[in-house]
Amino acid sequence: MSGAQILVKARGLTKTYRMGHLDTTVLRDVSLDVRAGELALLMGPSGSGKTTLLCVLSGLLRPSAGEVELCGVSITGLADRVAAEVRRRALGFVFQTYNLFPALTALDNVAEVLALKGMLLADARRVAGEALARVGLADRLHHLPGELSGGERQRVAIARAMSGDPALVLGDEPTAALDRRTGLDVVRLLREQVNERRAVLLVTHDIRLTQFADRVIEIDDGRIVADGHAGALGRHEPRDAP
Amino acid sequence: MRRIAVRSLLFDRGKLVASLLGVALASTLGFVQVGLYRGFETSASAVIDHVGGDMWAMPTGLEVIDYAQVVSVGPRNLLLSHPCVADVRAVVYGFAITQVSSGTRSSALVVGVEPRPGRRTPWNVLEGDPDELAQPLRVSVDRTDLDKLQLPSSPIGRTFEISSRQVTVAVLTDGIRSFTLSPYLFTSMTNARRLLGVGENEAMYYVVDLVDRSCAGDLVTWMKRQPDIQMLDTDAWSRKTQAYWVGGSGAGAALLFTAILGMFVGGVIVGQTLYSMTKEHLLELATLKALGARPGELAQFVLWLVLFLALAGIVSGFSAALVLKHVLLGAGLTVVVSPGTVAVSVLGTLSMCVMASLTSLSAVFKVEAATVLR
Repeated sequence: MSGAQILVKARGLTKTYRMGHLDTTVLRDVSLDVRAGELALLMGPSGSGKTTLLCVLSGLLRPSAGEVELCGVSITGLADRVAAEVRRRALGFVFQTYNLFPALTALDNVAEVLALKGMLLADARRVAGEALARVGLADRLHHLPGELSGGERQRVAIARAMSGDPALVLGDEPTAALDRRTGLDVVRLLREQVNERRAVLLVTHDIRLTQFADRVIEIDDGRIVADGHAGALGRHEPRDAP
Repeated sequence: MRRIAVRSLLFDRGKLVASLLGVALASTLGFVQVGLYRGFETSASAVIDHVGGDMWAMPTGLEVIDYAQVVSVGPRNLLLSHPCVADVRAVVYGFAITQVSSGTRSSALVVGVEPRPGRRTPWNVLEGDPDELAQPLRVSVDRTDLDKLQLPSSPIGRTFEISSRQVTVAVLTDGIRSFTLSPYLFTSMTNARRLLGVGENEAMYYVVDLVDRSCAGDLVTWMKRQPDIQMLDTDAWSRKTQAYWVGGSGAGAALLFTAILGMFVGGVIVGQTLYSMTKEHLLELATLKALGARPGELAQFVLWLVLFLALAGIVSGFSAALVLKHVLLGAGLTVVVSPGTVAVSVLGTLSMCVMASLTSLSAVFKVEAATVLR
């Protein structure tokens, strides 16, 4: 794994928010690498800085100090427009609340993102259909999100995240709104997306997900307090059963 | 983004209906008010526009055709003595008192114009032969004035009084209404002079046809020998009369105010619906932004919504205006639907929709991609 391509390289990240007259530091000198071929979990208590770190790593927020490289491109000083272009090419996102357009079918929710990335609509629909088939939704292509279960919606979101063949997929509590079994199915699906060119980094509170992770990064009070294999960090892998 | 916007709009039927009603209401008001405004203008200057010519000679200081004064034959002779003048036609025009069968007295505008090929008066003839107007005390009446003159729907041969003389209806026209609401009664020059008590060689206006329009300036200078006569270009005279009635009476301002009010109300409805729809989809739009969509691409969501609403509103507004045009014609109001009035109304509706979309556009431009991870 140590020879795998580094997809995210963060050095000395600090993020401070000004709230009124008060400065609140949510990230303190965070450095980490995420390499292709790994599924990493970012864990920690509420307010520890997990989501802020995900935002900074993806270029959605600028750090107050430090630097982030995404797929070899330093995004810290980039103009918003250029950073957006890097995200467009390199990133996929999966969210807790799916964030699908309710008026679009599963197929179109995926295809429209591909079209936004510059693909012709006919090609986009074909690729979207293939992506949905890969996540087990070949028979649900023309269903609206409102006609799908939570797990199916999250699968659509995963297909959307994967459809542009991104190097890095970021997830923010992707299982939080799902029941136990569906949540594990979703993470299993995300695990399947990891390959020698791609990594998945998930923010989660759910300790059960560690069984699928190559690596667990623990953060507390804005600092990385542990970083290693789930077993090495003393995590107990729960039974994968109902 | 067009497909996302349009499908989102069609998906939420309640908001779609509300916004369509708003934009259709505003658009209809726009078409009708602009059409009425233009209708007032065209009726105010209808006689000038149909009589035509290159220039009109009239008493100095006259503001509007309806306040006509008698002019002697002298100016006509002076005009004809200028080499640039091809033809001069006299126009007799003035108010007269009418008395209908029930004894009710009212006023009417008696009009006589020296004929010229291709410029016959009256126009829009429904029944009767305009040549009959040359017969003694024959007049035309307009369909929209039949009730006022207490005449039946086929009035040819019926009589009423003008200036205590009995006249006979020889021609029925359609849609020739004056801004003053006094009926237009067209007749021959001889009859008009007789009914208005004007001398045989006198007239109210002289309409001049020029050999060459470029010598209009020379003619104006030439006519300064007669300081009690002013020369006006026909278009300018038409606009002056329109401005006097439509602008000076406040009718134009009232129509404009109503149109603006309609656009404002429509704009508020459309703006609120758009903003509500945009806010409902901010999370999805922020998701697209996180995935690399540019602000301009996200703005297209709002712009396609507004374009769809504007086009739907314009089509429904135009259709409603065509129906209202016929309804209002029955009430004696002319709604002009011409390329000009349509262009103004479409522009007004589009502007209203664009204005209504500004808050939504602002919300889209301000959306932070990071919100999807909070």
